[in-house]
Amino acid sequence: MDATKRTVLHGWHVENGANMALFGNYDMPLWYKTGAKAEHLAVIQAAGIFDTSHMAVVSVKGEGAKTLLQYCLSKDLDCCLGKGKTELVDGRCVYGVFLKPDGTVIDDAIVYQLQSESFMVVVNAGMGGEIATHLKKNAGKNTVTVEDLTGRVGKMDIQGPESARVLKKILKDPQTVFDRMVYFSFKGGVGDLQTEHPVEFTDGTRVLLSRTGYTGEFGFEIFVPIEALASLWSMVLEAGSEMGVLACGLAARDSLRAGAVLPLSHQDIGPWPFFNNPWPFALPWNDDNVTFSKDFIGKTALLQKNWDRYTLPFAGYDPRKIAPGDENFVISETGERLGTILTCTTDMAIGRMDGEIVSVAGNKDFQAKGLCCGFVLLEREYSPGDQVILSDGKRKIKVEIRTDIRPARTARNSIASMLA
Amino acid sequence: MKELSELIFKEGLRYTNDHEWVTEEGDTLKIGVSDYAQDQMGDIVYVELPDVGTTFQKGEEFGTLESVKAVSELYLPISGEVVAVNDDLGDSPELINQDPYTNWIIEIKPSDPGELDQLLTVADYRELLRG
Repeated sequence: MDATKRTVLHGWHVENGANMALFGNYDMPLWYKTGAKAEHLAVIQAAGIFDTSHMAVVSVKGEGAKTLLQYCLSKDLDCCLGKGKTELVDGRCVYGVFLKPDGTVIDDAIVYQLQSESFMVVVNAGMGGEIATHLKKNAGKNTVTVEDLTGRVGKMDIQGPESARVLKKILKDPQTVFDRMVYFSFKGGVGDLQTEHPVEFTDGTRVLLSRTGYTGEFGFEIFVPIEALASLWSMVLEAGSEMGVLACGLAARDSLRAGAVLPLSHQDIGPWPFFNNPWPFALPWNDDNVTFSKDFIGKTALLQKNWDRYTLPFAGYDPRKIAPGDENFVISETGERLGTILTCTTDMAIGRMDGEIVSVAGNKDFQAKGLCCGFVLLEREYSPGDQVILSDGKRKIKVEIRTDIRPARTARNSIASMLA
Repeated sequence: MKELSELIFKEGLRYTNDHEWVTEEGDTLKIGVSDYAQDQMGDIVYVELPDVGTTFQKGEEFGTLESVKAVSELYLPISGEVVAVNDDLGDSPELINQDPYTNWIIEIKPSDPGELDQLLTVADYRELLRG
């Protein structure tokens, strides 16, 4: 195993009392002194910032860049934007997965079109090299340059309803930057990856600003030259301090994304076919839901539909959880083994009222105690509302199969509505 | 994470290798977890407590503390019968994070009060954490 890696903010995390742990071979903060619950709630009620520079950036450029990505990524770049499913354009990005020919997952990614022949692919910690190699191997006759920029691009996220208000204070021209900046669009650039519209902070730092994130809440991901990350981090935190912005660790990130029904790569998606799961939008299904709109690696295997297991979201009735583990299973009321636990965490912003899940978002008087939630991989299909039991052999926790978990999420809200 | 110098140790309590504390109150003992334990676990979100009247042997699991990170079993360091549980923790499990020494978890009537002397002193416990 490679030596443990550190992001450029490692010193800041330690100085600020973070409880550190290894994630993707990076020594990362789990939570700071405020604790994971306060951090999770800050993202629902104010905003939180996350050091995400452990994630990897791969640059894909050249005449054949789009053709290569079309073949390797599950999402159809010619047929992906909006209800009309129009083609990807400069300044827009999409979520997809890189599959092996057998339909199993190498990693998930967001692919950014900077210009018609310039793309940025953002993958998970430690995956830059493998994805770059995978792309090069499949380049064929395409004229394309693939470069793994791991460790050369800094990244931080700001997530939560106050995100735009915080950035408005420190962006040089917030009005222009925020104009028509819809969910899954971006502006600016970093290094050689540039769009036509620069995004600059008041201190002169130029960034790529993206209306994306991994919490289900309104916010931005910010790609920044690695040497400018530490100063940007401090500037954003200072600008947000009066609005209750907190630095957040990976524990809050995990509980927020689970409540938002977002998968963690290598945990909820991985070495099994990308099929029968809550993320069919990452595949290029035609309206018939039977055929695909393009050819891509993994297509044939997925069309055979010979994967008879189901990845399903669940939520419990209180905060108790049972972690994924070799001895932990999903069972029926009668004790029959149904499958395994992929993710089980506590979304601290939600609770139940008369059986229904309620969030503290928009319910200021609601005292959430938290609900366990996550994903299970079951051997047969279950419907929303069905109950199964998580068990570690000793403890048993009843949970409900869901289509969605945390209500009143803000990710898709317009910037104008969040600034109003 | 708290440095050793930041951790709170309470004089007069006895401690265990599992990071619990025990204090004598008349002929009963109150049991809780140490500042180190709550700091390691992070935010505690759920506490599972035994029924009053239950008897446990030394070393038996009597409940769990559920934090954002994991589920931690609680082991009884001294054999005895549960005479009270801290009901405040049901509604406010975070009390343990806020003050792990005031917010005891269970109270027992020990079968053999002599077992208390086998537990760690504050100096022993400090030494254990120093590693």
